[in-house]
Amino acid sequence: MAGRQFYNPSAFANVVCDGNVVGFSFEIKEQYYRSITLSIVRDIKVVIDGEAIAREDVRLTVNGETFTLEECRTVIDPEYRWEFGEFITVTVMKEGGLAAGKHHIDCHQSIAPSYMPFTIEADCPADFEI
Amino acid sequence: MSYDIKRSVSLYSYQDEFYNKQLDLEGCLRETAKTGATGVELLAEQMIRKFPLPIEDEAFRETWFGWLKKYGLQPSCYDAFLENRIYDNRTLTLKEQVKMMCRDIRLASMLGFPVLRTLVSTPMDVIEGSLEYAEKMGVKIGLEVHAPFSLNSSWADGYMEMITRTGTKFFGFVPDMGIFCKNIPDVTREKFLRHGAKPECLKIVDDCYAERVAKGFVKIKYDLNLGKANMEYRLANGMNEMMEAVKKAGGGPADLGYAGSSFTYSWSDPQDLIDNIDYIYHVHAKCYNTHEDYVETATAIPEVVEAFKKAGYKGFLSTEYEGGEHLRADFDVDSIEQVRRHQEALRRAIEG
Repeated sequence: MAGRQFYNPSAFANVVCDGNVVGFSFEIKEQYYRSITLSIVRDIKVVIDGEAIAREDVRLTVNGETFTLEECRTVIDPEYRWEFGEFITVTVMKEGGLAAGKHHIDCHQSIAPSYMPFTIEADCPADFEI
Repeated sequence: MSYDIKRSVSLYSYQDEFYNKQLDLEGCLRETAKTGATGVELLAEQMIRKFPLPIEDEAFRETWFGWLKKYGLQPSCYDAFLENRIYDNRTLTLKEQVKMMCRDIRLASMLGFPVLRTLVSTPMDVIEGSLEYAEKMGVKIGLEVHAPFSLNSSWADGYMEMITRTGTKFFGFVPDMGIFCKNIPDVTREKFLRHGAKPECLKIVDDCYAERVAKGFVKIKYDLNLGKANMEYRLANGMNEMMEAVKKAGGGPADLGYAGSSFTYSWSDPQDLIDNIDYIYHVHAKCYNTHEDYVETATAIPEVVEAFKKAGYKGFLSTEYEGGEHLRADFDVDSIEQVRRHQEALRRAIEG
């Protein structure tokens, strides 16, 4: 379970591209104590209303640039650090997005600081409304 | 022997207020000064955005030194993180790691820090490869000695051998006072109680900890495979027997969690500080919960300060409040008050 604030409660939304709803997005903070390069983010897992989202359908947006989780593996530039205490945007590609109304989400983050013999795992189930 | 024990605050202590945006970097410095501390310790990667770019910027450095002047603070220690596994498919080469270490030494120096804290995961040859540059920049590298590690151990011997062999005056230790815990912190115990642990199971763990303290901890060995070293250390200190006893008493996940967490604390003889004083450049004065009467729940402040006085320590004791991690899931964390109390506890011990 996450100890710190995890989601931005007001950031759950559908994502519209060229007039089509292509997915949904939300904002999360890292559950660690310093900023990190995206290259040490091992995984962001999303389960929405009981449905597990495939890894390739998850995007992270930091400082105006969007990366797939696969791309994150090589992102080390200071411009795109996941800053301590700052939200980053997670976008889930899902045709049609989410229906208006109540939803249940569980997001899991896995971060691998070099000095630790294990990864930091944190998740946070939450209810929200679109 | 004459001593000059100064007080510092690691801004790590204020992480909850920073995370929740109640304090920014300047706010942390302001709070530090209010406690009477004269030193400040920084995790640049925690509180400086777009690390390390601003440190390269003269305007930022002017602001930084302006704050230090305004609040009457001097830089004590820069906490570095050697991200030598920055890519998931390989460890950086020795040259790459030395380059990263030298970058951090340079950044520390640019912000005025005389000591750089490095972590136990830093390979010995990376430290050795950075010594010449550290000397050139006037920044001493201090290896953090954090539980489960300890001074006067076969783990520390490897580093002492390197110090002796090279004759360096720019590598030594930064002991973390979590290695001087007489008992498990109350905030840890209370967290597990809130999460369903049974008092009788916690007592088994507390008794085992007391026994480890009384008998003396079996010390950890040097191994860059930290997971392996840690597991051997736990087994040598009776982990299996303790876990079995907790399970036998009907312990569930919270009880076993408390049992596991007991290994994140340890007890060393404060004499270890006296024996190694020539190589102690800075101290993380770890604290978990300092009560209204200025008694810290677990760390042996009077004994440790007494040892430093005897040894003639000239340097900082830097408050590193970490109790928040046991509270934040359930309560608001008041790091400001905890740091204030801990600084007062240190002041009384130093001046008393």
